[in-house]
Amino acid sequence: MSNILVQGTNKLSRIANVTAIIANTVGTLMVLCLVIVVDYDVIARGAFNKPFGGAVEVVQFTMVLIVFLQLPDVVRVNRLTRSDGFLAIMQPRFPNIAMWVRRFIDSVSAILMTLIAIAIWPEFVEMFETKDYFGVPGVFVAPWWPIKLVIFLSASLCALIFILKVILAATNIKLIRMDEMKDKAVPSGEKI
Amino acid sequence: TETIKAVVIDGYPAKAMWVDEFSNFFIPQVNERLAKTNNYKIDWQESYGGTIVKPKGVLDGIKLGLGDIGIVTTVFHNSKLPSQSLAAVTPFVSVDARVVAKAMDEITKEFPTMEKEFSKQKQVYLATGVVLNTYQIFSKERIESIKDLEGGKVAGAGIILRYLDGINNAAGVRGGLTDFYNMLSTGLVDHAMLWPEAAKTFKIAEVAPFMLKADLGAVNSKTVTANSRFWKKLPDEVKQVIQEVAVEYRDHIAEIAMDRAQESLDAYIAAGGTVVTMSQEARKEWADSMPNLAAEWAAGLDKKGEPGTEMLRAYMGKLTAAGFTPARDWAAGLK
Amino acid sequence: MSPIEIGVVSVIAIIVLVYLGLYIPVALGVVSFVSIWLMRDDFELSMNLLKIAVGDSVMEYTFATVPLFTFMGLIVSKAGMGADIYEVMNSGFKKVKGGIGMATVGANAVFAAVTGSSIASASVFAKVSVPEMLKYDYNPRFAVGVVAGSSVLGMIIPPSAMLIIYSFVAEQSVGEMFLAGVVPGVLLAIAYIAAIWLMGKFTPNYVGGKPATEYEWMSFKEIFSKTAPLVTLITVVLGGIYTGWMTPVEAGAAGAAVGLIIAIVRRKINLKIFWEALIETGHITASILFLITAASIYSRMLGLAGLPNELAVILEQNQMSFMMIMVIYVCLMLFLGTLLDTASIILIVVPLFLPLIEPMGLSLVWFGIITVIGAEIGLLTPPLGISCFVIKASVDDDRISLKDVFMGALPFAFVMLIVLILLINYPVLSIGILH
Ligand code: NA
Ligand code: NA
Repeated sequence: MSNILVQGTNKLSRIANVTAIIANTVGTLMVLCLVIVVDYDVIARGAFNKPFGGAVEVVQFTMVLIVFLQLPDVVRVNRLTRSDGFLAIMQPRFPNIAMWVRRFIDSVSAILMTLIAIAIWPEFVEMFETKDYFGVPGVFVAPWWPIKLVIFLSASLCALIFILKVILAATNIKLIRMDEMKDKAVPSGEKI
Repeated sequence: TETIKAVVIDGYPAKAMWVDEFSNFFIPQVNERLAKTNNYKIDWQESYGGTIVKPKGVLDGIKLGLGDIGIVTTVFHNSKLPSQSLAAVTPFVSVDARVVAKAMDEITKEFPTMEKEFSKQKQVYLATGVVLNTYQIFSKERIESIKDLEGGKVAGAGIILRYLDGINNAAGVRGGLTDFYNMLSTGLVDHAMLWPEAAKTFKIAEVAPFMLKADLGAVNSKTVTANSRFWKKLPDEVKQVIQEVAVEYRDHIAEIAMDRAQESLDAYIAAGGTVVTMSQEARKEWADSMPNLAAEWAAGLDKKGEPGTEMLRAYMGKLTAAGFTPARDWAAGLK
Repeated sequence: MSPIEIGVVSVIAIIVLVYLGLYIPVALGVVSFVSIWLMRDDFELSMNLLKIAVGDSVMEYTFATVPLFTFMGLIVSKAGMGADIYEVMNSGFKKVKGGIGMATVGANAVFAAVTGSSIASASVFAKVSVPEMLKYDYNPRFAVGVVAGSSVLGMIIPPSAMLIIYSFVAEQSVGEMFLAGVVPGVLLAIAYIAAIWLMGKFTPNYVGGKPATEYEWMSFKEIFSKTAPLVTLITVVLGGIYTGWMTPVEAGAAGAAVGLIIAIVRRKINLKIFWEALIETGHITASILFLITAASIYSRMLGLAGLPNELAVILEQNQMSFMMIMVIYVCLMLFLGTLLDTASIILIVVPLFLPLIEPMGLSLVWFGIITVIGAEIGLLTPPLGISCFVIKASVDDDRISLKDVFMGALPFAFVMLIVLILLINYPVLSIGILH
């Protein structure tokens, strides 16, 4: 029985991870899109007297996509900003306590992400029904609902990944930060 | 005496004119009048400048109860508050902030549309704020008509950019108020659409020494609102006092806007600026070049079952009755 | 509970949770959520706070500077431009006692003008400059200390992610913040070089190193080919912002494009590196902006509690002096700097102190420079000093322990503190450039 449960959880975990990786890839393309849009506007304005009227809205839109499409992957690879000095000290001496602290941390995180998802859902429904937009009518407008939807899906996926972390709390967690530093020009996400 | 707690929010800093006057005119006036009967007292918590919401967030902040009373900058919310653009889509009518504020306020009270839009956002309309008298064109070179804007780049923001729609090859460049000086000085743009007070604050005379007095017109941009739940719970006496003061606040800040506009224009000239008055024919030519923004606006509301056309007619009627002759009758040709 | 009590309790709760290892954005979000709930006895209001903060915090146009400058910095590091400028500097300084150290500082200062990150600086220079110093028998501690100390220049000299973050919190112009960072950054670099000179003079054994016997001046052509790409980028980015040709967002996009073109022309990039840089950029952007979002929940909570208003009243009643506030401020930043990273420190302390600073008529641009430098001292202090960690990992040499890196960095942290005091006393050093 418990074996089936473990297998199920593992499977769910794989699905969640793959989804996070796919979302991350799309978000990554948005970074490229951002560079192109802003440069296009600069050149079109400077050289051809034809500024792109929607530059601001498109930039705002891509920022939301970059952040919320990549957030689940950031959570997945443990790169959300934290200070793990205490855990690093506890780990070798009291591995059990460290594990429970980790479970506590991931549970609290799961709760916050769930609250965000619950808070955003009605916003999405409302925006979808009213078709509200931002921008200047006649110049450029963009709808709100995809933004709210992406935030909702992102927060839900983050919550799921955190819950799986609680269940699967691996006992052999290393100092992720130190690991990632090897042969990478820029390591840990939080402090560029 | 019963004490009522009220959180006032705006994303703009306390030194912004309309916020400053809220602190030093609106609130003391309400307090004074409530003190007369001494039945109620308001304990105000003033949270401005991003401490609770950003400028774009006031509407949602009041809706969600993060503030009880707020000053909504309506130009950010074309989608949720479409009818608030009425003054912006009718350029070349009146440069008197007081008249536009009063007309807008009356339209709000005579037609249900505007209040309906606010009540959808779970708030109650209190007053209209007009904080600038008119947009003008500030240029590097002396210009007189829209011929001189052809093929040029014009800095601006929001719906104002659409005033350029009918001018041959003129490109509107969006920018924040703080960017305009640099945009002009580097030649990124040749002209900027600004109001005199902003021109003075950002020393525009240094980079754009010619102002074309086109008198595009006063535009409403602020609305004082209260959270519906908060408002419903207020005693009638307090409601009445606040509504009275709201009307006075409306006239008070419009008056200040007019005074400041004149002072700023003088300062612009003192700083080396030259004012070129646009001829009536040239103004008419510009107005006629534009797409009928007002008709578009009215049609948009009509389609939703709101009395857009009637509001537009009533608004034009009020301004004409106040003695203004529009360079283009935006209500003409409406069915 | 009074607003002040709620403010104090929530700050303590956040610090405890963060030290325990809770993700910083989660700590900020959860504590703010609970505080509002308890304060107003209104669960819905707490949910509404989440709704408004999560919905609109990311939508800021200027936020786009974060991914754009991050991407530019990553491309520039991967294209080897840091190593190039170091070689040029080294050819000039080699003869002096501690010369390679000075060259490292100089190269870092120049490199800082195209990267927004201290981490990039630390990892690049740990790889090129530490082995060189060890080759000339420099004291390992001194060698890693120099790299750690000078890496902070990356986030003071513009473009800088930290200046961008501050400008969001304090609602200042990113362009002005960037310009204000130039002089303090250069000043810090000069102070480092002076400190190295003094160390060479008075504690030559600590510095170590033998004079270079064979060294050649670089040919003009070589110098040109190694500096031209960087100079071009600096001109595009800082020149674009300074003259007003571009907004910081546009300058970031232009810098990213130009950096990419340079890397391609010099054949320093392939699809794999390019993709890695993009992914890295996305991760960094997501974690920074999520942190900013959480911090905005926290500062709005403080606003709702009325803390800013209360602080202003206290300030008025107690006539707290400017010096007093500054001493408290710097001590708090140093304390938080032991464990927190720079961005978190900025996001926690700035909302608390802004209401004190603003009514005193002090420049918020100046205050931002003070904040960023004060918070960056923490990059060099144990037990959690990010720059030192990166250097330890990048050097990858068993002779150098993490402790060596921290000990070596300490004198430079001290120099930073002195420069910080100088900047507090003479605001003109930061904001003079704006007038
Ligand atoms: Na930098
Ligand atoms: Na530290």
